[in-house]
Amino acid sequence: MAGLLAKERIIAGPSFNRWLVPPAALAIHLSIGMAYGFSVFWLPLSRAIGITQPAPEDWKISTLGVMYSLFFFFLGASAAVFGRWVEREGPRKAGVVAAFCWGGGFFISALGVYLHQIWLLWIGSGVIGGCGLGLGYISPVSTLIKWFPDRRGMATGMAIMGFGGGAMIGSPLADILMRHYATPTSVGVWETFVTMGAIYFVAMLCGGFGYRLPAEGWRPVGWSPPAQQSGMITTRQVHVSRAWRTPQFWLLFTVLWMNVSAGIGVIGMASPMLQEVFGGRLIGVAGALKDLVGDQRAQVATIGAGFAALLSLFNIAGRIFWASLSDYLGRKHTYFVFFALGIILYSFAPSAGSIGSVALFVGIFCIILTMYGGGFATIPAYIADLFGTRFVGAIHGRILLAWSAAGILGPTLVNKLREYQLARGVPAAQAYNTTMYILAGLLVIGFFANLAVRPVAEQYYMTDAELEAERRLAHEAGGPSR
Amino acid sequence: MSAPVNPIKPSAARWLLVAVAWTLVGIPLAWGIYRTLRTAVKIF
Repeated sequence: MAGLLAKERIIAGPSFNRWLVPPAALAIHLSIGMAYGFSVFWLPLSRAIGITQPAPEDWKISTLGVMYSLFFFFLGASAAVFGRWVEREGPRKAGVVAAFCWGGGFFISALGVYLHQIWLLWIGSGVIGGCGLGLGYISPVSTLIKWFPDRRGMATGMAIMGFGGGAMIGSPLADILMRHYATPTSVGVWETFVTMGAIYFVAMLCGGFGYRLPAEGWRPVGWSPPAQQSGMITTRQVHVSRAWRTPQFWLLFTVLWMNVSAGIGVIGMASPMLQEVFGGRLIGVAGALKDLVGDQRAQVATIGAGFAALLSLFNIAGRIFWASLSDYLGRKHTYFVFFALGIILYSFAPSAGSIGSVALFVGIFCIILTMYGGGFATIPAYIADLFGTRFVGAIHGRILLAWSAAGILGPTLVNKLREYQLARGVPAAQAYNTTMYILAGLLVIGFFANLAVRPVAEQYYMTDAELEAERRLAHEAGGPSR
Repeated sequence: MSAPVNPIKPSAARWLLVAVAWTLVGIPLAWGIYRTLRTAVKIF
């Protein structure tokens, strides 16, 4: 088994079709992307004992919500800690370990639901599954960049689009399965966990075994590296242990941190903001949200849910669109667009609300969400451009800690600001305005961090002797497979 | 620095395999997008 997973076993032969690698990456990313959709389990789990309504010993939704903190903490932490191991051992081993962690996490969680032990859910899906998220997320990055040197952005964008789309498949599937398994004595969640764990385990194993690495010196048919390299795209390599000492590492960390913090902040408040700013106008009646009666409120809530779904579509579309466009615009220019256009749109959103244009308001948020997704999808190629392709997965893993940091900064900023304003008597519909300006301020910080990015200084690059030693360590002496 | 490796143009069978692989991931993704679109149209 260990030999089957070895890096030297997955060196592709000359007739291998590189377009087989993105679906393998998508199989893994679509599986782990279900992390975003876990909230579909909260309501049924909150009445796991009472079945029709929550019993006193049932779990609170706030207790179950701890899972999200665990997911994103362990995603960032495991990507940072194991990134170097993933580069050394190869994507297949990483993909298979991720399958065991993510699929296994579901099985442990199923046991937790069956025995009604919340700590088994936290350990199973939160900690072990969270490690599977981190390993699965970074496993295809450097492989795709090596297979698509001509379209780095598009290649990683395809995989990271899968992470955004995973919940679109997983949430409705979980809903269907829970209905199917529900009985008068069970809400059907543990059975759903077992089924989904098995599906994800098989899908991720297929993905892991689908990975191939190009042979040293491989190039796409008809492509050769540009004779004159741009200063922002290096052909040399920076070791992961040296990368974090460069200013470029911390500038990219800041760029991702600010872009994601602002985006997470917006995602959390977009739907309630639409409902509170426009109120009855959304359904053609006069009055603010608080003045509406039960049925009218339900209609507005349905429109709010539709808005959230629309945003998730633009989130995944932005991942492939912006990452692909970055191959032509350049990574630095792409982030300039994110920040400059973002500052304008975040600042203008409150005005769109005050002039009463629903279409304009929705359009602004849809564009903002494309840039949130695009920020995630373009960062691996930016890292490869600046630090080389050799350690891109490991460096990406460390930069993903910015995601964990954003998971704290974005929601905290939005929630605290809102509470503060409401306590000072600001009307609910207007309480979002200052928040949007503050989020635009985060983008200003990101803009200047991106502006300061320059090519890495000579002293940080690896020498030929260091590269050779690294190749030996990474078992790169094997011949091609099919 | 190693010499560039010249790839062989993939055969038709390899392209068929590519089509199968993309279909396997494309169908669930398309289903998920369709379900999300059905929810999203409620805003219009």
